[in-house]
Amino acid sequence: MAQRGLPQSKEALLKSYSARLKDDVKSLLENFEEIVKLAKGESDSQLSRMTQCEQDTYEMHVRSANIVRAGESLMKLVSDIKQYLILNDFPSVNDAITQNSKLFRQKQGEADQKLMVLRDDMAADLYDLEEEYYNSVYKCRIAD
Amino acid sequence: MAYSVNVAIEAPIENQIQEIAYDGTEVYQQPLSMSESLSKLAAKIDFGKGQDEKEEKVVDKTEEDAKDPAAYQSSLWPWDSVRNKLKNAFTEVCVLSDVLAIAKEKRYLVLDPVPQEPPETKAMVTVYARKKALGGAATVLLTGAERLRTSQSEAARNRAASDFHIELLALRKNWRLKKVGNSIIGDVSYRTAGSKFASSGMFEVTKAEEEPSSGWSPPQSPSAVAPPPKTPSALRVTLPSELQGVAYIEVHCRKDDEALFSTTVTSSTLNTAGPMPDMHWQKKLEAAQNVLFCKELFNQLAKEAVQLPGPIPHMVVGNQIVASILPGIQLIIGLCHSTATKNKKSGPPQQKKSDHDHVLEHSIHQLLREVHHKNTHHPFPHPSSGPLGPSKQRCLAGPSAVDRHELMEMSKSKTLLEQIIEQTQHFTMRRRTEYVLDTIAKEVRDPLIISHWNSINSPTKACVKVNIMTHGYDTICRTLLIIHVGKKSLKCICRDGSVMNMSYEIQELRDLLICQIQQHQITAVQALAKCMGWQLLSNNTHLGVGEVQQMGNASSCMLASPMGDRLIAVRCEPQAGVHVSIAHSPRKDFYPGQLVKDRKWENLGGGFKEVRWDKMEGKNFLNKMELLMASLTSSS
Repeated sequence: MAQRGLPQSKEALLKSYSARLKDDVKSLLENFEEIVKLAKGESDSQLSRMTQCEQDTYEMHVRSANIVRAGESLMKLVSDIKQYLILNDFPSVNDAITQNSKLFRQKQGEADQKLMVLRDDMAADLYDLEEEYYNSVYKCRIAD
Repeated sequence: MAYSVNVAIEAPIENQIQEIAYDGTEVYQQPLSMSESLSKLAAKIDFGKGQDEKEEKVVDKTEEDAKDPAAYQSSLWPWDSVRNKLKNAFTEVCVLSDVLAIAKEKRYLVLDPVPQEPPETKAMVTVYARKKALGGAATVLLTGAERLRTSQSEAARNRAASDFHIELLALRKNWRLKKVGNSIIGDVSYRTAGSKFASSGMFEVTKAEEEPSSGWSPPQSPSAVAPPPKTPSALRVTLPSELQGVAYIEVHCRKDDEALFSTTVTSSTLNTAGPMPDMHWQKKLEAAQNVLFCKELFNQLAKEAVQLPGPIPHMVVGNQIVASILPGIQLIIGLCHSTATKNKKSGPPQQKKSDHDHVLEHSIHQLLREVHHKNTHHPFPHPSSGPLGPSKQRCLAGPSAVDRHELMEMSKSKTLLEQIIEQTQHFTMRRRTEYVLDTIAKEVRDPLIISHWNSINSPTKACVKVNIMTHGYDTICRTLLIIHVGKKSLKCICRDGSVMNMSYEIQELRDLLICQIQQHQITAVQALAKCMGWQLLSNNTHLGVGEVQQMGNASSCMLASPMGDRLIAVRCEPQAGVHVSIAHSPRKDFYPGQLVKDRKWENLGGGFKEVRWDKMEGKNFLNKMELLMASLTSSS
């Protein structure tokens, strides 16, 4: 349902994510298989055996490095998907906004209430203080 | 040589002897013909001679080959073998020449000695080599795995609180973000909240690189408290330069080149915090939003200041708006934006007065927020497609049959600047009123002047209740005044219900209060006389006789003792104070004279003597009056 509304680019992005996942996993598997095959050592090439050995060594290194690369690419994919989810998860953002606005409304209400109480207290106290001050003989210098 | 000897010469046997028969006859071979002898000689030529040894075999072979056809195919064509050999030799020489030519170039072919014997390889060697290769591959894999593991565990351990994605989530919950290309762009503007300010508040979110923590930390002063170990944020926010730093709006009220009060529109925490480079992103963004808000506010005010017609045009110079609110008093609104440098741009900070008022700061914020709110919240019903629709008042105008004048009034709206000017005018008026009230309360000791400010007021309206009474006699008489402080005027409602409208000049209020004080004294004396049983003979609040007063009129009253034999006259002047005179009628000691011969004439009164009021006993005027009355009251 949510997928239907996705624009073309988003859909393409999601597809590319799944393609990347498949490619990387395939790369992991294939490279491993090739390494195992190489370890068997069945080669009927015309090269001399030492050359063949060197080539195998090199190939194994490259293939193992490929496996590592695929693994790290998977990590990157996970991170990308997380980022995509975070940036495009509008329901949760809406939830957060609702929650925030509720929180702030509550805080506003509390603050208003406290301010009201404070104002009443201060007004009462101010009345008394004004009464006392203007009744007293001592009055401070008025600052201009 | 003289002798000639015939020497018989016989040709040797030219022909080889083919066979010798048993009888001794020799059978000769037929001599070779010319062609036969040539072919025989030609056959003797060794073509292989002089070539490289490499080709020796081949040459030998060809020689052998050549012999055979010569032997067997000589019948076909006598020169065949020779031709074949020559052809072969020519081919070889061509190939050799090509090879040499290529080898000489050394670009495509290098001649190397061929190892004589192929290196022998053992099976174990290949096994070891393969094992080593596998080992290398395993190392690469393990290193990669280790790297992943350490990064994971480090992320889990060290930066549990500051994981990039967790922070991004927190950021997303509070700010607007979107992904553009490879970067994440956010927005701090108030546009979704109804702002129509054109300037954009874009910022970019990036992942913070692992920075070497030891490199740049400044040396700490020894006395400084050790800062709390803060985890570096995994998220970095890059702001455009015009949003960096701290901005605030300064509001001065200036009276004749002298600052009356100043207020700065910013929260104090932002001032002290300063734009630190390693500030947390939340604070950074809040500061940026504040900058944007201040800019919008100032922009709006400046626009209005230019457009607003007024008796004295408002000035906009640089980042300052100068608006005159009352004669001699100007309102100066300035935008201060301190960029990356820590110090404030505007030199020495304004000296803050102790009575620093935050009301203007609040209202100027509130006004723009109200505008924002109005832009997004339209009263229902309104078309869902656009931000249109009549106001609520206009919706109600039809049913309540509003006339044209009221509708015209409805359509008027005040700009932000007008509103803030009104509030500032009110602020000034309130301060002036306070000043006058306090000064009078301090100057005039005798009747106490007690003012009570109403706690419920609006930004442009305040109310103060002034109570004039005498200490100790407050139940007898008190004069109550209500002063409404407006924008440019004061309205005073006096005790008798009369309403006085005054302008912004404080002298008017002062005069009114002084008159009220004198009236209070007279009224209080009358009330006291009533209590003491004295009679009020006359009362005049605006006395026509006596010296002309600078301000107002003198008021007076005359009292008679219960027996009627004593009189007290009180005259109150706003400037000079109180004069009290007494008279006896009749005098106790009567001596008939030339003119007044009978004692009865003494009942007419007259002959007032002024009391030396400052020598009287008593704490205040009413107390003195009470004592005076008491002493004059005779029982007989």
